[in-house]
Amino acid sequence: MAMLPVTPRGFRDVLPEEARLREGIIARVQRRCSLWGYAPIETPTLEVLQVLEQGGKLAHQPFRLFDADNELLVLRPDVTLPIARMVATRLEAALPLRLRYVQPVFREQEQLQAQARERTQIGVEALGLHGAAADAEVVLLLCEALAACGLRDFTVAICTVGVLRELLDACLRDSDLGEDWRNRVLRACHESNLVTLDGLVSDARLDARYAQALRKIVTLSGGGEAIAACQAIATPLGCADGLDELAASWEIIEAFAGGHVRVDFSVMSAFDYYTGLVLEAYAPGVGVALGSGGRYDGMLSAYGLDAPAVGFAFSLETVMQALVAQVGDDGQPQTPDLQTVEVVETDPVAAFRRAGELRAAGQRAVLQVADEGAAGAVTTGAGATAAPGAATATAATPDSATPAPAAPGATAAPATVTATAATPASAATAVPSTNFGTEVPECPKR
Amino acid sequence: MPQALKIAVPKGSLYADSVAALGRAGLDIQGLSDPGRQLRVCSGDVEFYIVRPSDVPVFVSYGGVDCAICGRDSLEEAALDVIELVDLGFGACRFVVAEPEAANRPADADYQRLGVMRIATKYPRITARYFDQQGVQVDIVKLHGNIELAPLSGLAERIVDITATGTTLRENRLRIVSEVMASTARFVGNIASVRTDPRIRELAQRLGEHK
Repeated sequence: MAMLPVTPRGFRDVLPEEARLREGIIARVQRRCSLWGYAPIETPTLEVLQVLEQGGKLAHQPFRLFDADNELLVLRPDVTLPIARMVATRLEAALPLRLRYVQPVFREQEQLQAQARERTQIGVEALGLHGAAADAEVVLLLCEALAACGLRDFTVAICTVGVLRELLDACLRDSDLGEDWRNRVLRACHESNLVTLDGLVSDARLDARYAQALRKIVTLSGGGEAIAACQAIATPLGCADGLDELAASWEIIEAFAGGHVRVDFSVMSAFDYYTGLVLEAYAPGVGVALGSGGRYDGMLSAYGLDAPAVGFAFSLETVMQALVAQVGDDGQPQTPDLQTVEVVETDPVAAFRRAGELRAAGQRAVLQVADEGAAGAVTTGAGATAAPGAATATAATPDSATPAPAAPGATAAPATVTATAATPASAATAVPSTNFGTEVPECPKR
Repeated sequence: MPQALKIAVPKGSLYADSVAALGRAGLDIQGLSDPGRQLRVCSGDVEFYIVRPSDVPVFVSYGGVDCAICGRDSLEEAALDVIELVDLGFGACRFVVAEPEAANRPADADYQRLGVMRIATKYPRITARYFDQQGVQVDIVKLHGNIELAPLSGLAERIVDITATGTTLRENRLRIVSEVMASTARFVGNIASVRTDPRIRELAQRLGEHK
């Protein structure tokens, strides 16, 4: 029996309606990032596993395969590690660098977890830049990028891992607790398991002041006052690493983020490669993070280049889920109406010329060839129709066809342009056409 | 106008204690005392969802509900991303390994010769992790209920199951071989909801204060 013609689990086709939305979102986000001075890059789909792992623990299970050289390869499970590799080995002289990307990533998932195994990541990395201003830049750019996607309601939660790391260092220094305990605390923080965390810091060997601090800090959230509260706890213990920087970033962020950013010390995310700022983005109606990011000053040194870096990435698919959930969304790209130009057997050149003129004028024109659907079609004869709101075009041919029925809402007196009017000069001066639709307002609410 | 806060409440043995805890935390729980066949109970700006215990982590993790009360057993077995906020203390039970009191041959002796032991359980993930930690090689059979029958019928040598008092095990002439872990009820939240909706942390605080 023939196999059902399916795609692999967690991999899927993108059909035109969705593809057009994706294209529009990607174009707008890339435009935003470009305006901030970020340059596009691409990395290979396959990487050498050992090389990626050199940069840091892989946060997701990758697809693995052997090539003909018996090299163990992976389909890239994220883009940050490949960029660190690329920059450290090939772009050292170009630092500082601001890079942006749109690339699919591939991650193994268990069955029946409703998880895609291929998803599109949109992100930026600012390499060779340190300090509060660079952190603030990345947070604000993430806000603008999410707004450019069309999202109106979203939250970016930020904090720093520095304070937690210093606290744990101090705990180990002042007690006989070991690495195992530290790792369990870090895992509990990463999983946001406050119950486990509470159990771990209740260890009798731990100084009560540290226990109290660890318990309290992960519950702090809000704005600048949350940073101040964290400083009040951590400074007397000599563990305030990263908090001054976070406060300085916050001052900038608060002024421009339009209420989309909040401080949340429970975002002790994640991957062990973060060294300072960490961030996660959320939107109502979607139970998972849209994206995440932070500062990873140690990753490039794993590839032999001592340089700081900060960045974010978000999933296009998750953002689209959030967009659908936000009723009344007006961020969808408006696709200009499509005009149809019939190719008449006796003079096909005229139709191509006519369509070319329309495109040169920034309009969308599709050729209707051979037996392609006749109803509602625009002919290259004297009579022609256009989709609602679009200028009607006619390519004048001697033996004109009968006028096609007008589309609903078509203008009563369409402007008529003849094919012979087209000259190379007029085409050259025309506005370049676009398939992406109109730009939507790009900035977050201020 | 904020959306209703969606809270999953586990059916079954944790139900009564869960409802009482939510009541002590100041929520209107009248509709929960006798919901009949109704699975969703609305009360002001809160919606309660009455969910099968093992499905609670799924509802929370995927954002079907914002927060929930759930046994640690279900959380560990599901191994999904949720934020564990409060240990509520009630619903205490233990995960144990058990075998028939009067086995023809001790399971350990068979293991010496066979190199593998068959374990029946409702909790394959917890079971696998436990025996991996112990360095014991096992074949795991997943059953959906009345696990005690497995060793009695000879389907498996041992079981991993939860027990609160040990009564069911005793009545089926099973004895506890070792303890896997202890479990209590937890208040958990969806990651995105906890980070964006302050009502969940407030509720966590009140639940913690009125245990």
